[in-house]
Amino acid sequence: MRKKYSFLSLIKNAFTNNENWEKMWESPDPKKGYDVIIVGGGGHGLGTAYYLAKEHGIKNIAVIEKGWLGGGNTGRNTTIIRSNYLWNESAHLYDHSVKLWENLSEELNFNMMFSQRGVMNLAHNEHDIKEMKRRISANRLNGLDTQWLDTKEIEELVPIMNTKNLRYPVLGAAFQPRGGVARHDAVAWGYALRSNEMGVDIIQNCEVKDIQTDNHKVKGVNTSKGFIKADKVAVVASGHTSVLAQTAGVKLPLQSRPLQALVSEPIKPVINTVVMSNAVHAYVSQSDKGELVIGAGTDGYNSFTQRGGYDVIEETVRAIVELYPIFGKMKMLRQWGGIVDICPDASPIISKCDVKGLYFNCGWGTGGFKATPGSANVFAHTVANDQPHKINEAFNLERFSDGRLIDEHGAAAVAH
Amino acid sequence: MILINCPYCGEREQSEFSNGGEAHVARPKNPEALSDKDWGQYVFYRSNPKGIFYERWVHTHGCRKWFNAVRDTSTDTFLKIYKLDDNRPDISEFKSTLKSPSGEPSVGSGNFAVKK
Amino acid sequence: MSAINNKNCKYISQVEIKITFDGKSYSAFDGDTVASALLRNNIRLIGRSFKYHRPRGIYTCGIEEPNALVQILNEHNEPNTRATIKRTYDGINISSQNRWPSLSFDIGSINNILSPIFSAGFYYKTFMGPKGFWKKIYEPLIRRTAGLGKPPKNFRSKSIHQNHNVDILIVGGGLSGLIAARKLIDTNNEVLIVEQDCFLGGILKNSNKVKSIDGKNVFEWVNETEKLILGSKNIKILKNTLVTTYNFTNHLIALEDKFVGKKIDTNKSELTLHKIRTTHTILANGHIERFISFRNNDLPGVMLASSFEKYIERYGVAPDENPVIFTNNSSTISLVKSLINLGCKPSAYIDSRNKNDIEDETKDYLSKNNIPFYPESEVEGCEGNKKVEKVYIRSSNKEISSIKASMLCPSGGFNPDIHLFTQSKGLVKWDDKIISFKPDTAFQNTITLGSVSGNYKFKDLCSEINKKLSFLKTNELNLEIETNIRDDFSIKELWETKTNKKSKWSKSFIDLHNDVTTKDLQQAINEGYDRIEHLKRYTTNSMGTDQGKISSINSLGIVSKILKKKISEVGTTTYRPPYAPLSFAAIAGRSTYEYYDPERKTPIHNWHIKNNAVFEDVGQWKRPWYFKKYKTETMHQAVQRESKQTRQSAGILDGSTLGKIEIKGKDALEFMNLMYTNAFTKMKPMTSRYALMLGEDGMIMDDGIICKINDKHFIATTTSGGAPKVFAHMEEFLQTEWPHLQVYLNSITEQFTTFNISGPKAREIVSKVFSDIDFSNEKFPFMTFKTFNYKNTQARIMRASFTGELGYEIYISPQHALELWELIFKHGKDFDLVPYGTETMHLLRAEKGYVVIGQETDGTVTPIDINFNWMIGKKKKDFIGKRSLTRSDTAREDRKQLVGIVPLDKSQFIEEGQHIVECENLPSKIKMPIEYLGHISSSYHSPNLNHCISMAMIKSGNKLMGKKLFVSTPKGTKNIPVEIVSPVFIDPENKRLTS
Repeated sequence: MRKKYSFLSLIKNAFTNNENWEKMWESPDPKKGYDVIIVGGGGHGLGTAYYLAKEHGIKNIAVIEKGWLGGGNTGRNTTIIRSNYLWNESAHLYDHSVKLWENLSEELNFNMMFSQRGVMNLAHNEHDIKEMKRRISANRLNGLDTQWLDTKEIEELVPIMNTKNLRYPVLGAAFQPRGGVARHDAVAWGYALRSNEMGVDIIQNCEVKDIQTDNHKVKGVNTSKGFIKADKVAVVASGHTSVLAQTAGVKLPLQSRPLQALVSEPIKPVINTVVMSNAVHAYVSQSDKGELVIGAGTDGYNSFTQRGGYDVIEETVRAIVELYPIFGKMKMLRQWGGIVDICPDASPIISKCDVKGLYFNCGWGTGGFKATPGSANVFAHTVANDQPHKINEAFNLERFSDGRLIDEHGAAAVAH
Repeated sequence: MILINCPYCGEREQSEFSNGGEAHVARPKNPEALSDKDWGQYVFYRSNPKGIFYERWVHTHGCRKWFNAVRDTSTDTFLKIYKLDDNRPDISEFKSTLKSPSGEPSVGSGNFAVKK
Repeated sequence: MSAINNKNCKYISQVEIKITFDGKSYSAFDGDTVASALLRNNIRLIGRSFKYHRPRGIYTCGIEEPNALVQILNEHNEPNTRATIKRTYDGINISSQNRWPSLSFDIGSINNILSPIFSAGFYYKTFMGPKGFWKKIYEPLIRRTAGLGKPPKNFRSKSIHQNHNVDILIVGGGLSGLIAARKLIDTNNEVLIVEQDCFLGGILKNSNKVKSIDGKNVFEWVNETEKLILGSKNIKILKNTLVTTYNFTNHLIALEDKFVGKKIDTNKSELTLHKIRTTHTILANGHIERFISFRNNDLPGVMLASSFEKYIERYGVAPDENPVIFTNNSSTISLVKSLINLGCKPSAYIDSRNKNDIEDETKDYLSKNNIPFYPESEVEGCEGNKKVEKVYIRSSNKEISSIKASMLCPSGGFNPDIHLFTQSKGLVKWDDKIISFKPDTAFQNTITLGSVSGNYKFKDLCSEINKKLSFLKTNELNLEIETNIRDDFSIKELWETKTNKKSKWSKSFIDLHNDVTTKDLQQAINEGYDRIEHLKRYTTNSMGTDQGKISSINSLGIVSKILKKKISEVGTTTYRPPYAPLSFAAIAGRSTYEYYDPERKTPIHNWHIKNNAVFEDVGQWKRPWYFKKYKTETMHQAVQRESKQTRQSAGILDGSTLGKIEIKGKDALEFMNLMYTNAFTKMKPMTSRYALMLGEDGMIMDDGIICKINDKHFIATTTSGGAPKVFAHMEEFLQTEWPHLQVYLNSITEQFTTFNISGPKAREIVSKVFSDIDFSNEKFPFMTFKTFNYKNTQARIMRASFTGELGYEIYISPQHALELWELIFKHGKDFDLVPYGTETMHLLRAEKGYVVIGQETDGTVTPIDINFNWMIGKKKKDFIGKRSLTRSDTAREDRKQLVGIVPLDKSQFIEEGQHIVECENLPSKIKMPIEYLGHISSSYHSPNLNHCISMAMIKSGNKLMGKKLFVSTPKGTKNIPVEIVSPVFIDPENKRLTS
């Protein structure tokens, strides 16, 4: 690691008027060819490059991004991190990720501000309670720290919550203390910084138009900057993945939907944990800046406009105004939309396909951010060895033929 | 919120409707004759284009009728709405409103396009 | 130097009111905003900045304000209120924000001293170790210093929503909007004008720029226009209303403040959120002045020139007698004229433009009034203790001189206010003439008029509007507009002035709200953050509550200079809705709390209340969960009592929430055979059958009882929660896959109230109630039904059971439901009939081994998994989901299967949701995942067996009968030893059911 950051480096640079900071990554023109081309410069893609270089010794890599680094869902989500999934396969994948998160700031020497303030999933009816208690027990056996909170314990953790006087009272919650939030942009930047240091080319404002194949084998990609040869192509383009897959003749079981989020104006701290409610489609946390970050639901139709329906925002705001009565005097500062790619079983695909040398990491739906390091790590393994890591074995494409689905509809925070 | 012109009721807000995914995907006549893979294709795979998309809608909070639509998913513009027993309109009828193959301008952030 | 009252201002009354700011009382005029009231009282320091806690004053006179955010203490502590738009009233109590202990002495300002270390993105580079410090030390510290206002108090708003459908919406009641409106008077178009202020006129009231229109003074012209509009049959005006959001298909959101300048009456709707649908949207929402970055451009006393002018003209107060004016364009001369009219005089007029480019009229006017004039000059910076005291001027010869002044008014030009236009997804383009972005191609039916379209020429205004609205075929309107400024707008590009001070602490701000300096931009670019969105995110530039309204184009200008690119190549960041912060309460409207979601109640609901039912929410339904016999009875006691009594004598359940669907038509039989797993062909008329519905993935979706009246007529029940889904599912396949089938579906859930009577005495009770029906086993066997007339309404009784006891399900018209229910109780009394709720229902069915959809099943369970192979019509060629059952994974023999479980020690209780394991104990801290076989889906203490009974879904369950295993407990390490048994605990021979 060449560029070391610390409090000392800040002081040192303060003396030179902050004029001598080095570039964190270069923006080169693409070479003629690479060992691996990663399509998509979000957290998952940059992370894949990082782990390929660091753990698998592959350094002749390009990450190709059509816009700017981290400009897709990495920069548009509500930054929630947790691993309290029901099925073993998911719990192992997401917890692999949480474990990487726990050391990521130090590993990359770039502060991700991973704040383990806990994630709470509220129960509003008897069915929720049963489902959550089952999940807590399964989590426990998988070594996760999820626990049950009763209403009194919830009120102690989140005093601004109205638990009783609402249409669907809060009856309890599943709580994962190791969950939390992180600074979303920092993930992309940190991976970019360190993978670039190891020789990875980061190419922004370059759009991959199609994937070239020959006899079921990958040849390279056509981009807005010309053809680039590659032995292996790894596609991590979230909402646009299925559009790209199509160019290589691969069909993926994905649908791209709008997902919206919003923030309030900043106020002094009022909520020090993450609260999610499946039943009323709203999740809330407070950023270190003081803004309340609120996630809404997905729209029920395919769209690439990055603009969802206003009614979805209204639904979510209705729920939070009731759940947190102080919101009655607060204001929405910004609202935005992203495009999420959703799989039929609400679980991702991290898989090879029929075309040799072509790999996909997609279908993260509404929950991809939390998985960033874990997904990148096992995807790098899959690309490097041309076979999946034990952790992502189950997240293959064959499951849509043989039926071995990993149905996580219950664990996704929003209705699909 | 987008407006949808229900062929039976007229223009209504999208929240009155439910989307039924891709249109013109017929249920296999003889499922038993299909391989696991082919059956999986029918159950789980639907096309997901950015641009012109043939899709189904139902006027859930209205007449409850299903109908088909052609929509540009890059702009959410409805290009045609037609009844189930109407013929599938040919794609050459429509011009995509896409500005570039992927829609985003080469500069800017995607939501806000700058004309060069 | 103090504020001067402009008595000639027609928009403000001279009626005195009292306001309180930071505990002190001040006089103000009725009609003042918080800002104008404070300026009137010579208060310049009004808040502290976000990061460095620098003293800040009032910078603007409108929605774009980055600094002057206050808290309204007497309005539930509403935080982050813009002082520049919040109107005062007698008794309003205002507090400054983000300072401790006081506004003038704020401990947080130590951050300003440390600011060289707190450079752009500093937090990404430190606070990383030692482990645990981020969570325990750094982050809590950062959180405490961040944030702005204090949290408000709980408030339940009464705000409402209002919908509009109009032909034309005009956003902005300023000059352009009013000209457009005059053209539309008495046409066939329904028009709505939305104006954020309580007066129309826009630039006519906010400035001194226009002298007269058609020879009338502007005040008269606006009044005349308003009268014409109000007298028209087709145009409405909404004042105090701000358009915040522009959605697809011309759907706009606007917020109206109903209590402007008045104390809020909390019994009334204080806000109205307007949802406007239009055919054409006319954006006439004007422009926003931008600032110029120079050293200490954030000191209290620095105020945008046009804002200063607006305070004089609109709010009747000149904040200072002798401000310094610093401009790069031709617009500021009108401010000088405003000041001279009041008997004041600027202490200097600094114009960065070349001498030759500056209008002769300006030069003449300045010299005529003896105003010190600095052409080709710029402000290097200003200094002072918490206020402007000295202004440093770099003259054309690069020499720096200073003058004393207490206010400084920069003008860096104007940006067309394209926020709404870009929200509509319109394309914008760069205009070198005005040095800003302006609208280019509209995506929707959007028309921009006046300065928002980039037209700053008053003389061209009417022709522009005539041309752009010509498609409406209205009359041409040509007005003679006379101005106080040269109509030909002239500007020289200037984004920042270089400082001569080399101090590490010297700062030129680019984002006042988030404390971003021009140095931060340079540093971020050096570090590789050269995409405009990266810059924004790395430095937090333009991410504050003002969203960079006065500064975002400036940062593009500065960045383009550093990158040596054109601004149009740098691009811009996204303008995200809303235009200005939008009240959550208004978005939510009335549909919260009891109106959040409808409560569905059965016709027996009031009886349940009278009989001390405790309810549970099942979807929107309120269902009795259990009945309290006496006050202190616990749920456990009640459920045990209800269950026992039902098995011993009889119980009754209000099952009205069950979904009911009627299926009729020539092809009903074929349709039912396709929708359900069961085969209905050989089923006899007037019999019923338990049936399963699958998704195409082969997984159980719903269950119910199907009554076959004949091949052309079926009635299906669904689960309470599944009713809409099942109905929609049937409709979908009927309409889209099998339109050739002649079948009609009708939801009859609400048309029939349903009671389930079960227990050994059930027959005796129903025989008494319906004395003309023969309920004998021979005449009325299990799984048959009878229809009959009950007081001229259709009724049906089915012999079925979900408890395992002899049972009857009665379907009755809701109008007779309650009287029948009471009649049943009248007769039931002799047979010890007990009402029971959903919990007892669940317990009783578990004793019998019946599954509950959503409890035993979770979307991953096939009929085979729950031992329902017998329900699959194997001879049927096809039904929905059939093909999926033979996929390799669904056909596996080691899938999870339904079993019963009992504890070996009968005194132990197994919790629902726990897992079945092979180990006796668990480690106190589980590090490596522990294999489990499955989970407990249902578990109850059976009063009839007097021990715990459970149902579970476990791997290869069918092969594990009799095996001893263990079940985990919620927290303990010692697992419960259990035995795998059949899930049918009571009456496996179905004797009770069928006798």
